[in-house]
Amino acid sequence: MSQTIQIKNQNFTLHPLGGLFWEEKSLLLISDVHLGKVNHFRKFGAAVPRKAIHQNFVLLDRIVADFQPFQICFLGDLFHSSLNKEWELFENWVAKTPAEIILVTGNHDIIAPEKFEKLDVKIFPELIMDHFLLTHHPEEREGFFTFCGHIHPAVKLKGLGRQQLRIPCFFKSEHQMVLPAFGEFTGTHTLKPSKTDEVFAIVEDMVVKV
Amino acid sequence: MFHIAESWFQQQSWKPFPFQKQTWTAFLEGKHGLLNAPTGSGKTYALWFPIVLNYIHNHPDYQTKHKKGLKAVWITPLRALSQEIKQSAERITQDLGTQMTVGIRTGDTSTKERSKQRTAMPDLLITTPESLHLLLSSKGYAKLFKDCTAIVVDEWHELLGTKRGVQMELGLSRLKTVCKNLRIWGISATIGNLEQAREVLLGPTSKELENSVLIKAEINKKITVKSIIPEEMETFPWRGHLGLHLLEDVIPIINNSKTTLLFTNTRSQCEIWFQKILEQHPEYAGELAMHHGSINKETRLWVEQAIRNESLRAVVCTSSLDLGVDFAPVETVIQIGGPKGVARFLQRAGRSGHRPGKESVIYFLPTHAMELIEASAMQKAVRHHAVEDRIPYLNSFDVLLQYLTTLAVSDGFYPDEIYEEVKQTFCYQALSEAQWQWLLNFLVMGSQSLKSYDEYKKVEVEDDGKFIVNSRAVAMRHRFQIGTIVGDATIHVRYQKGGYIGSIEEYFISKLSPGDVFTFAGRNLEFIRIKGMSAHVVNSTKRTNKVPSWMGGRLSFSAKMSELLREELYTAELPQNEQSPEIQSLAPMFTKQREESMVPQPHQFLIETFKTSDGYHHIFYPFEGRAIHEGMSSLLAYRISLLTPITCSLAFNDCGFELLSDKKIDIQAILDNDLFTPEYMLSDLQKSLNSNEMARRKFRDIAVISGMVFTGYPEKGVKMKHLQSSSELLFDVFKDFEDDNLLYQQAYTETFEHQLEEGRLRLALERIAQQEIVWKQCKNPTPFSFPIITDRLREKLSNEKLADRIKRMTAKLTR
Repeated sequence: MSQTIQIKNQNFTLHPLGGLFWEEKSLLLISDVHLGKVNHFRKFGAAVPRKAIHQNFVLLDRIVADFQPFQICFLGDLFHSSLNKEWELFENWVAKTPAEIILVTGNHDIIAPEKFEKLDVKIFPELIMDHFLLTHHPEEREGFFTFCGHIHPAVKLKGLGRQQLRIPCFFKSEHQMVLPAFGEFTGTHTLKPSKTDEVFAIVEDMVVKV
Repeated sequence: MFHIAESWFQQQSWKPFPFQKQTWTAFLEGKHGLLNAPTGSGKTYALWFPIVLNYIHNHPDYQTKHKKGLKAVWITPLRALSQEIKQSAERITQDLGTQMTVGIRTGDTSTKERSKQRTAMPDLLITTPESLHLLLSSKGYAKLFKDCTAIVVDEWHELLGTKRGVQMELGLSRLKTVCKNLRIWGISATIGNLEQAREVLLGPTSKELENSVLIKAEINKKITVKSIIPEEMETFPWRGHLGLHLLEDVIPIINNSKTTLLFTNTRSQCEIWFQKILEQHPEYAGELAMHHGSINKETRLWVEQAIRNESLRAVVCTSSLDLGVDFAPVETVIQIGGPKGVARFLQRAGRSGHRPGKESVIYFLPTHAMELIEASAMQKAVRHHAVEDRIPYLNSFDVLLQYLTTLAVSDGFYPDEIYEEVKQTFCYQALSEAQWQWLLNFLVMGSQSLKSYDEYKKVEVEDDGKFIVNSRAVAMRHRFQIGTIVGDATIHVRYQKGGYIGSIEEYFISKLSPGDVFTFAGRNLEFIRIKGMSAHVVNSTKRTNKVPSWMGGRLSFSAKMSELLREELYTAELPQNEQSPEIQSLAPMFTKQREESMVPQPHQFLIETFKTSDGYHHIFYPFEGRAIHEGMSSLLAYRISLLTPITCSLAFNDCGFELLSDKKIDIQAILDNDLFTPEYMLSDLQKSLNSNEMARRKFRDIAVISGMVFTGYPEKGVKMKHLQSSSELLFDVFKDFEDDNLLYQQAYTETFEHQLEEGRLRLALERIAQQEIVWKQCKNPTPFSFPIITDRLREKLSNEKLADRIKRMTAKLTR
């Protein structure tokens, strides 16, 4: 179950897998997938289960099927490491996915741009669409609303009986929305919201405003 | 041969103890064995002597000619002890006119010294289990060890029941093959399962075990236990763990004895006590010192030396002073807070009156009222020598993977040969061929099948079937990671101008902001910044109550101790003249307890319920020890959740456990549905959410030991960051994608066998089934419940839909 919100008179749907869909543009935003991370670890002798590699693509397929977007924009850290064999799997995925794919680069994206261009994936350091700024690192810019990633946000919830819970979330402040990390095998960073922040937590298959 | 040793003893005007002679004889007859002797009893001479005598026997021209090469290895679990051991060895080798050399090789040994040893090994080497494995990871190790005639494992009781013990078993299994004429000896303090300790050391089916002896020193030392009983019980707290209320009672004890050791249970408690004594009694300045594992080595050595010189009145310390080192001037020992174990208590008591024939005196200082019961039980335990068992690990796949990589890093190994050796050990006696194959696959492929896109690389197989690591980078990373003690990431604390003070867990430092003042190593320090893996500080005059906490393990009572504790508690109903002084002093608390609730008797099982602003408290009192309560609370919470959706947090101590919930739990339903039944215990435990959390924590160590998580090079934290994943993440990935992984499963096995002690849990449930259950609905928290309900370290459990919980929690989002 997803959650729809309005920002600057545009409609955005927050998906429980961690993606955000801009309805008017039919644009799907996804951040911090960290492809290649599993293989990177394995290459250095850390035996992370191989099946986790495929999970990323399974989830990508699922979210694309839910929205069938025109464009998919990755907000950085699409690849965790230098080129490794997961690239081939990514090539296959790009080839079979019927949408235009854009990458706004993040700190982990060190793979040569030509490799992406060969696949018809466009690369930008940042992207401006109407009054919206798409970047990897959080940034507030006069007159724009920012969509970004990088932080892998999560929040801590407390309840009676001294209960505590930490869950990944979409983290919205006045001029900015930080997307959760989409990838399997990625960690989170706990943020403490202020009074004006809005938090959309990912609770199993739902997005819940808290 | 004996006359040499005996005349040496005569020269010192000593007389060898019978156990020393027995050990010499057995060793020289070529036997293996276990020597049961306490610290300070002369155990080092019991084994160094026959080693040297054996050399003299085999080399009659020993005074003129020196045959180079390693002759014996002495393993000590604490490198701090190595100096002392070296001194006693040198005394013998020199006095007997041999030209034998003695060397130390531990984590503290300089690189220069180590490479010198590589070319010319000392005759007698003192080292740790970790450093022994590092030697096994170097090329051509077999040559180094070929003339080694003896391995002595000192303080074997400390290693047994830990993964370092497993590491030792594996090391010995290799050396049995490599060394041509080896004797294996262990030295252990008294534990409940000494026979088993010998079996683990030598291998359960080995010919070494057949040809071995168990020698007991039988030095009966008089130990006197005195409880410090608060004069005014009415104002003595019901909870707490510091014990500062009784600080003034400690002062006369310190004044009346030459040197006093104050043992605390945690390093933070140690810091606080040190501060507070000095604050209230500045006259001790310069005569009071502190000793714990996080303080830098120089300071610790200085303190140890100062104890020997008798220049200190008192030392506040932790288990860091439990072992080894003979401190003759120590006259009195004070234990602050429950020591949680009889063996440990005895060991600490033994630190005082260290000279033969002298009496050991230990004071027990309770930190809250309930601990007086523990004090009373402890006296009984000491009288009956009711010492705990140390349970050895079985099938620790993580340690085995590390060991196999170690062998692959040095000269490579042939699986058939190593399998035979490994099967001989206690830990892996039941290792199946299928499991063995799984481990080999894991080393080579990182999984059980090959896939084309996979780039996994670690161990390679050569054409002749040899398993070997060819990559120098893999080898280097592995050598850095050898060992089985996994600590939290620590940060060095240094003065801005230079000067190392000690190390603190990163977790604590991360909560500080520049300018904050905290207490560490007995000083007030202002935090400036983090640079690399160091925290820079300057001295400060500001007062502070921030004391670093270290995530030490919380210890649990053994079965024996729990039983004694229950028996003590039951005496509360006896006439006063049949009670121990501790129980008598608790009379006001028992009265209060009876007003609100009751004091249970042997045939009763007490349940209390009440409400506070925290929520609804449901408290159960099995009196079985912390570990059992952890499992039982989890089990019960799970079973309740089958009746009705519930979320609760769990807390437990050695007396009982609590389910704290935002809703009332129907106790009658628990009784009606017989939720304490031992039936289906294991499967229910496995399903309870909590076991997941516990296994996750166990997995942390497993991931590091098996080499799946790289913790980074010391001092180069950042550089290797791209390889540091959190083991938590890894655990989740295994859960989702590879739950048949042996390492993942090991996390659960360890949880059930070592943490929850399922065997004991079952017995406890069976006992409860025989008892009458008494449910008291109270208006206020009772004295018994107080230490439990104020415990902030809690486990959580829930089977409610996450979304439902969130809705209720939303209002409380921390802003």
